[in-house]
Amino acid sequence: MPLLEVKNLKKIYTTRFGGSQVQALENVSFSVEEGEYVAIMGESGSGKTTLLNILASLDKPTGGEVLLNGRDIVGIKDKELAAFRRSHLGFVFQDFNLLDTFSIQDNIFLPLVLSGKSYAEMSRRLSPIAEQLGITEILKKYPYEVSGGQKQRSAVARALITHPQLILADEPTGALDSKAAAHLLRLFSDINRGGQTILMVTHSTMAASHAGRVLFIKDGVVFHQIYRGAMTNEELYQKVSDTLTALTTGGGGLA
Amino acid sequence: MRKLFYPKLALTNLKKNRSTYFPYMLTCIVSIATFYTMYSIADNPGLTQMPGYGTLSMILWLGTVIIALFSTALLFYTNSFLIKRRKKELGLYSILGMEKRHIVKTLFFETLFTSVLSLALGLLLGALFSKLLFLILLYLLNLSTPIVFALSWGGMGVTALLFAGIFLLTLLTNFWQIHVSNPITLLKGGQTGEKEPKASWLLTLIGILALGGGYGIALTVQSPLDALLLFFLAALLVIIGTFALFTSGSIALLKLMRRNKRFYYKPKNFISVSGMIYRMKQNAVGLANICILSTMVLVVVSATVSLYLGQERILDERFPLDITIECADDQAQVDGVRLAVKEQQEKSGVAITDYYEYRNFSFVGFSQQNMILTDIPKDFQGNATNYICNVILLPLEDYNRIQGTNETLEKDEVLLFAHAGQFASQTLWLDERSFSVKKELDSFVLREKTETAPQNSFYVVLSDLDVLAEIMAAYPQDSEPAFLSCTTQFNLAGSDETVTAFSAALREECKSSIPGVSVDSRSLNREDWYATFGGFLFLGLFLGMLFMMAMVLIIYYKQISEGYDDHDRFEIMQKVGMSKQEVKKTIHKQILMVFFLPLLLACVHIAAAFPVISKLLLVFSMTDTALNLTCTVVTVLFFALLYAVVYSLTARAYYRIIQEK
Repeated sequence: MPLLEVKNLKKIYTTRFGGSQVQALENVSFSVEEGEYVAIMGESGSGKTTLLNILASLDKPTGGEVLLNGRDIVGIKDKELAAFRRSHLGFVFQDFNLLDTFSIQDNIFLPLVLSGKSYAEMSRRLSPIAEQLGITEILKKYPYEVSGGQKQRSAVARALITHPQLILADEPTGALDSKAAAHLLRLFSDINRGGQTILMVTHSTMAASHAGRVLFIKDGVVFHQIYRGAMTNEELYQKVSDTLTALTTGGGGLA
Repeated sequence: MRKLFYPKLALTNLKKNRSTYFPYMLTCIVSIATFYTMYSIADNPGLTQMPGYGTLSMILWLGTVIIALFSTALLFYTNSFLIKRRKKELGLYSILGMEKRHIVKTLFFETLFTSVLSLALGLLLGALFSKLLFLILLYLLNLSTPIVFALSWGGMGVTALLFAGIFLLTLLTNFWQIHVSNPITLLKGGQTGEKEPKASWLLTLIGILALGGGYGIALTVQSPLDALLLFFLAALLVIIGTFALFTSGSIALLKLMRRNKRFYYKPKNFISVSGMIYRMKQNAVGLANICILSTMVLVVVSATVSLYLGQERILDERFPLDITIECADDQAQVDGVRLAVKEQQEKSGVAITDYYEYRNFSFVGFSQQNMILTDIPKDFQGNATNYICNVILLPLEDYNRIQGTNETLEKDEVLLFAHAGQFASQTLWLDERSFSVKKELDSFVLREKTETAPQNSFYVVLSDLDVLAEIMAAYPQDSEPAFLSCTTQFNLAGSDETVTAFSAALREECKSSIPGVSVDSRSLNREDWYATFGGFLFLGLFLGMLFMMAMVLIIYYKQISEGYDDHDRFEIMQKVGMSKQEVKKTIHKQILMVFFLPLLLACVHIAAAFPVISKLLLVFSMTDTALNLTCTVVTVLFFALLYAVVYSLTARAYYRIIQEK
């Protein structure tokens, strides 16, 4: 059984005063196996963020279903949703979403504190993760005192500390310089090799070229996918780049 | 078209920012109206004709100055808030290619529009309300003679000039802000200063000491005159303490909580404590301001209301009987007084009741334990004002006559009546001479017995005039010779007008026909007192209103700025795994804590200040502590209700911002 299964997902936005409707997702289906590292690519407005929001249970689809470990997350009651998100999913956002009111350490602890874990348990979990991500030195600092790369690694630590089944990353390199972005992508690969399933949404070819499989979305449908197979990052980069060119110039024959 | 570009842009900006500009303009309008009203009333030529004009005029002018100063501070505060909110917008303009001078032009037109509109509306409102408030003032002053009220063009001129000046200054500070910043910092204007606040233990300690000192003074002050002197010191200490504790103490306390890991890492406390640390930094000064303003409103309103309502009691204390006539113990004078009273009584038709005439020697003395001294002892250390008292020595013969008793006394015996409290001693030392107190009287026709008084009075009944003469001979003669006087005191029955007319006529008659006689009348004094206390109350309510408006405004702006900050925080928390309800609950809790903390502290302040205010009111002979307590409690309750209403109204604005997408 795949870890995540998305079947015939539809999302239609209606503007607040009725009127026009916008179809963000037309018919999206795909699945993610445990331990996979999947990148979803697409241009702005292709429906990437809508898809991710639905996967993150932050938004409800108009039709279709999302199964995590066989459980339909669309049907989860509002009351349990927050707790479900906290314990099963980890999030990494483009703009980090760290709270300025907390130190880095407390930001990372936030989901665990909400789940009622003890301080000892939290610090036991934190030290290996902080070590791996190279943020041990800055744990006592505040988000506004550290660099963008450090912020994003802290956000990754916050996503990892709950031992989630799936990490959802939304343009994680979007706000980083190339050096910090490369560093973060290496870390993602390491984490994935450790067995962590990652689903990343991006429009950066560089970011996508680190994944094990790349899905392309266009106009609300999954248009194409590329498996890494035995390709190196550079080869995959080339392939993804070619695909994107074909996609944007209107070639439909790839599917 | 090009000419009109900047005015049009300015107008659009004002419309777009109406949620922040509307309260700002309202503040301007109300400040202008308030100032104009106070000025035009103080400036009214009709007031010079009324009794007690001097004090009233001083009170009103003082009020005008206070309003001018306060309005300036308030408008600067609101302006700084506005410009902070708009930095991003201004930054965007410069990114889009507007030069600084263009932005300056836009700001100029914005200020011009708001100023002209506020001035026009403010003066209009002022003109309408000054008439109404003038009538209220006249009512409070208890005046029967109507005073014509006229629009004060001079007042309008002064108001327009003052506020145009204030607006110009705020514009210049805005120019300066634009001048020193570049587009990028403007663009990020709203996000700067996100540093975690530092808790200064020194400042916290100062705060605790200042507040403790202020409270200490307020709670331990003994005499009314001390209260008068120390009140401002205590108020100053409390203000310092409030600021220090809000800015530093609160953060120190929260950080202490954070250090306790077991407590801190609990879902409930984790978010609240860290959130509060943050909020306190941004809001500490505003909250301290709210707290101090609230306390000021409470003190001013409760004190002036109790004074006003307690006036009759105060008059009773100062004037135990309606009329008091003092003259020398000289047959011609005494006869003259008797004749004048009789003539005036027949003329006016008032009835005279409780008529007492007695010879006496009275002086201001110094009483300590069982001694009454004619002078402060040379070796006395401390505050002599606490021991100053009135001493009235009268012969037994006159006492028996007015009291209707048949007491007897030996040469070394006295009867003693203390106005406030008990003398409680078997012996009385009058300077070097000792008497045994045969009886301490519990009641006396001339004076009521009370628990406390601003100044005590002792009535000492001596066996005969010879003893009295001996004491007078020993009285230090350097200032003025001691002489025996004859005091006539009586009450009047009749309508207020006839009583006042009789008193005035009697005073005139005595003044012209019998030299050296003084006539004191309760009803004649009442007019002066109403002028004073009515003026105080008017000012108190007026300032109370102004302070309240300022407070409401600060709360509103705080809510809005909190809302913008919380908007992002709210979203992040939801993304990392809190439900909407949880987030709402924690934020609501914090907001409640933040906004009701000042009210709570203000109530503590007022509770601590109550003893010193009671003592202060004693200076005005206001002895009715129960009335004062009632007034204070009612004021506090009323204020708390108003505060809650303001809070719930502004909280709506806050939630609207939070829920914006």
